[in-house]
Amino acid sequence: MEVSNGAEETYQKKFALPVDSEHKSTEFRLFSVAAPHMRAFHLSWISFFACFVSSFAAPPLLPVIRDNLGLTATDIGNAGIAAVSGAVFARIAMGTACDLFGPRLASAALTLLTAPAVYCTAIANSPTSFLLVRFFTGFSLATFVSTQFWMSSLFSSKVVGTANGVAGGWGNLGGGATQLIMPLVFNLIERIGATQFTAWRIAFFVPGLFQTLSAYGIFFLGQDLPDGNYSQLHKSGDKHKDSFKKVLYHAVTNYRGWILALTYGYCFGVELTIDNIIAQYFYDRFNVRLHTAGIIAASFGIANLFSRPGGGILSDIVANRYGMRGRLWTLWIVQTLGGVFCILLGKVGSLGVSVAVMLIFSVFVQAACGLTFGVAPFVSRRSLGFISGMTGGGGNVGAVLTQVIFFRGSHYTTETGITLMGVMIVCCTLVIMLIHFPQWGGMFCGPSSKGATEEDYYLSEWTAAEQDQGFHTASLKFSENSRNERGKRVQPAPTPTLATPNAYV
Amino acid sequence: MATKACLIVSLWISCLLATSHATTFSSLQRTIVLTASPQAGQVLKAGEDNITLTWSLNTTFPSGTDSTYKDVTVELCYAPISQKDRGWRKTVDELAKDKTCQHNIVKKPYTSSNITFTWTVRKDVPGATYFVRAYALDSAGKKVAFGQTTDAHKTTNLFEVEAVTGRHVSLDIASVCFSAFSIFSLFGFFFMDKRK
Repeated sequence: MEVSNGAEETYQKKFALPVDSEHKSTEFRLFSVAAPHMRAFHLSWISFFACFVSSFAAPPLLPVIRDNLGLTATDIGNAGIAAVSGAVFARIAMGTACDLFGPRLASAALTLLTAPAVYCTAIANSPTSFLLVRFFTGFSLATFVSTQFWMSSLFSSKVVGTANGVAGGWGNLGGGATQLIMPLVFNLIERIGATQFTAWRIAFFVPGLFQTLSAYGIFFLGQDLPDGNYSQLHKSGDKHKDSFKKVLYHAVTNYRGWILALTYGYCFGVELTIDNIIAQYFYDRFNVRLHTAGIIAASFGIANLFSRPGGGILSDIVANRYGMRGRLWTLWIVQTLGGVFCILLGKVGSLGVSVAVMLIFSVFVQAACGLTFGVAPFVSRRSLGFISGMTGGGGNVGAVLTQVIFFRGSHYTTETGITLMGVMIVCCTLVIMLIHFPQWGGMFCGPSSKGATEEDYYLSEWTAAEQDQGFHTASLKFSENSRNERGKRVQPAPTPTLATPNAYV
Repeated sequence: MATKACLIVSLWISCLLATSHATTFSSLQRTIVLTASPQAGQVLKAGEDNITLTWSLNTTFPSGTDSTYKDVTVELCYAPISQKDRGWRKTVDELAKDKTCQHNIVKKPYTSSNITFTWTVRKDVPGATYFVRAYALDSAGKKVAFGQTTDAHKTTNLFEVEAVTGRHVSLDIASVCFSAFSIFSLFGFFFMDKRK
C-alpha cells in the first residue's frame, strides 16, 4: 500500500484495499471479499442476479405455463411487457431511496417486497393473475439502481466504470442463466414425481428463496459507505440527511440525466426486449426445438459475463487517457455499432449466421450498457441515486416502447421488427453528442472557455447556506477525486479558487 | 470464409430437398372412418374421463386403397378456436411443420376391420376444444391417409377437455407462508436498523 503522509496512513490501515480521501477503493480486486468494498460488490451482484433470475423465470417454462393457464400469444406478449414496465418507476423510486436511506436497506427492502410475487407465481390460475405476478416480480429489477449506486459510493472514479460494469453485467447474467436453470429445476421436480402442471409451480420457489436469502446477506453483511451505514452516519452527524425535494430538483433539472435515460433505453431496453422475444424468434423462424431455442436465448444473456464488464473497463481505460470526452465517444461508437448489428440480425436468413450475428450484437449492446454507467456517476453527486434511477428507468421505458411498437400483434414480422429496432437504436444514440460537461467538454467541444472546474460543477448543486453548514463536503471530495476525467492529453484546466463558484447547469 | 459458404449452400440444398419430398395434408385421402364417444360440446375431465374410439376403412373406396397401410396412429387435435392467437398450435399444410395434433392417443397395426379403443384423457392434456384424427402410416412411417371425427372445416362434433389446474392446497399454503416470512423479515430489518 502506498503511504503519502501520516494521516493517510491511519486511514489506509482501516481498509484492506487502497482508498482515496473519500475512503473509496482505488482498486477493484475481483477475487477478494474484504469488507466493506469487495464484500458489498459480491452481495450486490448476487442479489441483482437473483432478481433477474426471478423476473425472467417464466419465459423458458412458457410452453408448459401457456397450456396450463390457457394463455394466448397476446397474453404472453402483455405479460412480457408488464414484466419490464413495473421497474420504470421502481428504478426512479429506488434511486431516491438510495439517496435517502442508503443502498443496503433500499435493496434488501425491495428484494423482500418482491419475493412474495415470485412465491405467488406458483398459485397463478389465469392470464390475468399471470400478468400480475410478472408485473410485480419485475419491480425487483430496480435493484440495478442500488447496485450501481453502491458501487459508485464505494469505488473511486478510476475504477467506478469497472465496478459498475461487472456488478451490472454479472447481475444481468441472471436473465440468461434462468433460461438454463428453470428448465433444469422443472425437469428435476418432474422426475421426483410431480405432474408437469404442478412441477413448474414448485420450480418458482427456487428463485423466490434465492431472493429472500440474498436480502438477508445484504442486510447482515453489507455496509452502505466505507465509513459505516447511513443510519449510523446520520445519527453521528457525519452524513447529512438530505431532503427529497432538493435531490429531485437537482436530478430533474440536469439535462444529461435525461439524455442518458433515453440512450440507455436503446442498449439495456433492447437487451430486455431480446430476452423476452429471442427464443420464440429462433423457434418460429428457423424451426429449432424449443430446448435449442432456450439455449440460444441463454447465450445472449450469458454474454453479459464479459461484455458489460468489458464496457465498464473500456470506459475506465479510455478515460485514463482521454477523460470524459473519451468515455462519451466510446459510448456513442459502441452503441451505434450495436444498432448496426441489430439491423443485420433481422436481415440474416440462415440459422448459423443468425446466431453469430446475435452474439456479436449482444456484445456491443451489453458493452454499451457498461459504458453508460461509466458516465452516469459523474452527472450529479448530490442526486447520484436519482440520476442512476432515471437512467435505469429509461432502460425499462425503452424495453416497453420497443416491445409495444415492434413486437406486439402481427403488424411487423419479428425479423422486420428487429431490423427497425436497430434503426431506432442508431437514431436515438445520436443524442449523446449533446452531452457537455463545462469542466471536461463533450464529444465535439472542449471544456468551457470560462475555465470551469469540477468544484464549480458539483458545488453548484448546493446553496451557499447549505455549504456554510458543511453539507457539501462529500461533493467537495468527489470533485477533487474526479479530476482525472480531464484526461492526459488536454491542457491542465484551471485549479479551483476560493471564490464562490458559478452555478453550472 | 469458403467453408462457411459451403456450409450455407449445403444447408440450403438440404432444406430444398426436404421440402420437395415433404408430405402435405391436402395430398392425403380421407379413407378412414373414425368415430369418438364424446358428444358435440361435451366437457371431459383430464385424468378422469374416457374417450372410446372406433375406426375402420371406408368401404366406398376401391379395394386395394389400403395396400400400403401398415399402422394407424390416433391423435387428439386442437380445434380452430383453441388455435386462435396461439402460433404454437398452428395448422400448416406441410405435415412435418403442422402443429395441429400434439397429443398421441394410441398407435396400432392396421387391419381393414373395425378397431375399438378406450383412452383415459391424460393429466397433461391442456384445457381446450378438440377433435380426434387418425393417420394411416405406411411401412416407412410416412402418413398416407387420414380420418377425423369432425368435418373438413373442423366446425362440427368438437368437444372440450377440462384440464387439471396443477394447484394443490399445500402449494397455496407454502406460497402464503413464504411470502409472509419475507414481509416480516423486512419489518424486522427496519426495526433492527432503527435500534442500532
